Amino acid sequence: MAVNWLRKFASRSAATVFPVLGRQGEAALHRLALTPGIELVDSPRHASVLLVAGEIPADRFEPLRRVHDQLPHPFAVLWFRSEPWPHLEDVTRIDALDALPEALIAAHRELLLGRRDSASRILPDEPPNPWEGLGDFGQGGEGMMGGVPYGRPMAMNMMDDVRDGLTLDSLSFRLGPFYPGLPPGMAAEITLQGDLVQMWSTQLAPYPRALDPVFFAARERPVPIAELELARAHHHLRRLFSALRLAGLEGASLSALRLARELSPGSRLDGLRRRLVRSGFFRLSSLAGGALEAEQARQLGGPAARAAGLDDDLRSQDDGYRRLGFAPVTQSAGDTRARWQQLLAEIEQSLQLARRAERDKACTERMDSIETPRGPWLEQLPQDGSSLLDELMPGLEWGDALATVASLDVAAAERSLGEAPA
Amino acid sequence: MIVDQLILPLLMVLVTLSVGAYIVAVLDRLMAGAFGAPRGGNVWLAPLTRGAWLLTQHANATEAPDWRAWRLAPALYLALAAIGLAVMPWSASLVATDLVTSVVLWGSVEALATVVIFLHGWSANALLTLIGGYRYVALGLSYILISMFVLIGVALPAESLQFTQVVASQEGLWNVLRQPLGLPLFLIVGLGMTFWGPLDLADSTDLAGGTASEVSGPPRLVWDIARAAMLVAFSGVATTAFLGGWLGPWLPGPLWVIVKMLAVLSVLLLLGRWLPRLAPERCVTLMWVVLLPLSFLALVWAGAVALWE
Amino acid sequence: MTESMNHGIGVDIAFVLLAALAVISGWRVFRTDSMVRASFFLLVSFIAVGAIMILLAAEYLGVAMFFMMAVEMTVMALFMVMFMMNPAGLNPMNMVHQERIAIGAGIAGFVVLGAMALFAAFPERPLPTGLDPVRSLGLEMLGDSMLIFESAGIVLLATMIGVVVLSSHRGRYGAAAEGSMPPGLAPGGDPAGKSEEDEEAGGGHEHHHH
Repeated sequence: MAVNWLRKFASRSAATVFPVLGRQGEAALHRLALTPGIELVDSPRHASVLLVAGEIPADRFEPLRRVHDQLPHPFAVLWFRSEPWPHLEDVTRIDALDALPEALIAAHRELLLGRRDSASRILPDEPPNPWEGLGDFGQGGEGMMGGVPYGRPMAMNMMDDVRDGLTLDSLSFRLGPFYPGLPPGMAAEITLQGDLVQMWSTQLAPYPRALDPVFFAARERPVPIAELELARAHHHLRRLFSALRLAGLEGASLSALRLARELSPGSRLDGLRRRLVRSGFFRLSSLAGGALEAEQARQLGGPAARAAGLDDDLRSQDDGYRRLGFAPVTQSAGDTRARWQQLLAEIEQSLQLARRAERDKACTERMDSIETPRGPWLEQLPQDGSSLLDELMPGLEWGDALATVASLDVAAAERSLGEAPA
Repeated sequence: MIVDQLILPLLMVLVTLSVGAYIVAVLDRLMAGAFGAPRGGNVWLAPLTRGAWLLTQHANATEAPDWRAWRLAPALYLALAAIGLAVMPWSASLVATDLVTSVVLWGSVEALATVVIFLHGWSANALLTLIGGYRYVALGLSYILISMFVLIGVALPAESLQFTQVVASQEGLWNVLRQPLGLPLFLIVGLGMTFWGPLDLADSTDLAGGTASEVSGPPRLVWDIARAAMLVAFSGVATTAFLGGWLGPWLPGPLWVIVKMLAVLSVLLLLGRWLPRLAPERCVTLMWVVLLPLSFLALVWAGAVALWE
Repeated sequence: MTESMNHGIGVDIAFVLLAALAVISGWRVFRTDSMVRASFFLLVSFIAVGAIMILLAAEYLGVAMFFMMAVEMTVMALFMVMFMMNPAGLNPMNMVHQERIAIGAGIAGFVVLGAMALFAAFPERPLPTGLDPVRSLGLEMLGDSMLIFESAGIVLLATMIGVVVLSSHRGRYGAAAEGSMPPGLAPGGDPAGKSEEDEEAGGGHEHHHH
């Protein structure tokens, strides 16, 4: 009886959701972050509901299986705009974004009330590799240590430290593709010494990020600049959301998201900017490092390039923009801090342009070259730039490394998968 | 005798621990709401329902953890918080254990907390937890040093290592005025030791929860309660050492202690919601290059004032 | 003597339990398979001894034992983790070596200490009531040399901080991340103090130490 009472009481708690993002699954994330009664968590161990949002490519099935099995019992799995695996029993698929929050809350509640069975494990509960015990203490090798216990290399010191000559054991591991600190879909092999990144090799490129349909429309016909600029500000604000969340500024991250949701030419960024400055985001947070060299910046393009001092912006070639008095803003440092300052400046500029364009009813005039929020689109859409991280990450501390990844929009751009424009 | 010396003090500590942790959870939710988290549900009920949920959730396993250390670490951290609350006086006579070396005992609580937090991260046998624990150890030493110097400063005018004497010595002037550097330094250390808000480097979002990223169910509940309770213990010691403990007009002593503790807690939780997480490297520099010399200065100041008085 | 006889049965039970804990955790130090576990078993052993000291009314020494040993074992563990990112269970290690010498030394130590405990004539000196153990301990240990000891303590700490500063990445030749290099012996020459071998390894990045 007591257990029943406890479960009934527990069912009133917030639904803790670990999101596993598939292609273009971020829309669900942004919606849920602002929903009361739902708590998005960073670790599958902290969740009661696993949300698979978006189509998962086949090469990420194996990691998904492992994440699936990491949720503690009892847990439920929901598939949002994603085809559930046929061998799973008791699956729920949701396609309407509006129905998603309620479905998640209901799943959490039913699970606790015992009306829904917990999902069962997919993989056998055994170590991926057998224990190769050698030596009296099973230490795996000759002498005091050594060997390959559980198939993992010993955390042994294989290289010199890149920082100060104090050589620590290096720790190699694979992170992603569902780690919330990395762009959705990205996975990397990482070697750390202490919390200093020694080596970084990107294994799976992040999913292409959806561009607002208005950018595709602009390739075919003149479109109102106001609409284009709002879509740009929207794109940037959503990126700001994940970075601020990573930096531990949950409140500010949500106000970025709210601003994005209610974006109109009359929106102002002043409040959010003031809040960030006052909280010391630019001074206290892990924003050092990740400086792009001119060549890297050119390769990546977009706001990151302008933050490194390049004034390439295809908008300055468009007469519609020229009449609105457009001139690219730039920063000089090219590091993570400069990128966020650049992004805030660009959002402000976009809102300003949108206001003027709405007043003048201005439209784009060139269709062969569009500046997307991700970078220039001449012959082809901006391509994936995640291999850049392999050069950029070594030598950064973990916090700086993740902040740098968050500040770089390395994912390729693609057409939205039948999603209504925001 | 057993009732007086064992059961009543124990009850007192347990009540402070649970009520304190609950109040921290509620206050933090209120702050989060004020800072823009989506409002929904009952703020007063949410910590309890969450606790009930964690109780019904299974405690998970990792591959080859150090089971004993992993399960013990949250309980030990809670026990340390309880020790801190046990030496904190509520009035001249109402104190769970009035040890003559209670200031030093609090120092050892801080030192042992480092061990426990490290064990929590190390014993899960996972990467992110390990990095979290490791980060804490690297910073924890500087927290201990700063806090020790600041606390020696309050022991000087009291000429005693006993918290009740420390409060008694503030009869004329509270230490927060007598030693102006002390309280701010101590509060920063408090945020560090409970890895809260801007100094949450051990259980941070960039490590998906750090030392706690692999725990679920009841052990996670204990860990969360222990962190909140440690914050309460910190506010209690800050109240005792700097804000004159039970001293104050009109109200009875224990009420004054509660009011002051709530004020300190609100400041800590406000800072936690307001500031971004500090970069670890910046934090190391801040601790060793800025705050530690300041704590020396606070100690010299305290000594000079004690001589002059 | 009369005072110490007045303690309750609770103190006796506590003593026996703590003594057992101290001995057992001390024994576990040598039977475990990880350096981190070994150092924290040692810490448990010391804490039990500290608690026994508190039972003996040596409040300051007992509490100081908690404090010092916690920091000491943390520093030990810190250095082990610094040099070995070795989480629990990942790679157990053989924790004993030179066993014969160690066993011999252990037995000898036990015999000497045991003989002292059994055969030494301890003085019988009842303490005056109302003695402040902390104050008298401070005077007994430091006495006139208080200032010297305190100054030495500050100097030691300053030295420690100096070591930290020197070992941080902002070295004397600039930030290590930007290739901290000593200046050449001749103007424009190769950096001083760099061996031929290191240069061949191209900055020493793929360099293996065994």
